[in-house]
Amino acid sequence: MKKKYPDAEMDMTPMIDVVFQLIIFFITTADMDSKALETKVRMAMSPHGPVEEVKDPRTVVVDVDVDGKISIMQTPLSEGQLLAILKKAVQASGQGTPVVIRADEMVYHEHVKRVMDLIGRAGLWKIRFAALKEKA
Amino acid sequence: MARKRKRPEGDPPALEMTPMIDVVFQLLIYFIVTIKPVDVITNLDVFRPAPDPNAPKDEKPPSMVRVGVFQNGYSLGLGADDNPISLEGLERQLGRLAAVNAEQTIMITVSAAAEHGKLINVLDLCAMNGLKSLSVVSAAN
Repeated sequence: MKKKYPDAEMDMTPMIDVVFQLIIFFITTADMDSKALETKVRMAMSPHGPVEEVKDPRTVVVDVDVDGKISIMQTPLSEGQLLAILKKAVQASGQGTPVVIRADEMVYHEHVKRVMDLIGRAGLWKIRFAALKEKA
Repeated sequence: MARKRKRPEGDPPALEMTPMIDVVFQLLIYFIVTIKPVDVITNLDVFRPAPDPNAPKDEKPPSMVRVGVFQNGYSLGLGADDNPISLEGLERQLGRLAAVNAEQTIMITVSAAAEHGKLINVLDLCAMNGLKSLSVVSAAN
């Protein structure tokens, strides 16, 4: 078949521009999930801990910082607020909802105990402690 | 119909690559500088027995292996009494226990003044030895 316009060629520049825009968009949005979990909590090392392949989407992550302050997703909470959130989680997704406690290495156990007691009071029983398997 | 501008003869049509490569390198450098590697996080499972108000105080279940976590160290109780032990000693003892019976329940009693990192150390040793049945109890003092 003979070409109608032998001189015609596709201008690639706008396409490349758009592709770059898309790449930047996806890279920045993919980062947001980890930003939400970023805290000043320095977790203890556990090089032998199991690696979780499938994460339960219902998981509630509670942070306990070095002063014993409780927060979820960087939002500081009082004990009453945490209990209310946990109770709501029980209502929404049942008593099997896993709760991960991300406590600072140096925090005293009494503060972790407070959180564990609240979790127990809300009727949840699946408690896990987060630790660092590998430090990047 | 718009007619394309004629190119001078002998001038091959070529996409100007230099600015694109420049931009790509800029992006590459930007992302290399900003992206920081993600830490690998592990979750250590524990059981937390519900506090029983009717349970008599200071009664130790004899069949359980008891590990104590205190502000200044650890203790291990296999028989009647609990003895202080170093983390290395605990590692050896738990390894021996796991070789006999990995289903063994380990009761970890944590003192309120102990740092959380110490509890994680014990849980890590249990995970290393494949001990799965762990209960974490908080001591009153």
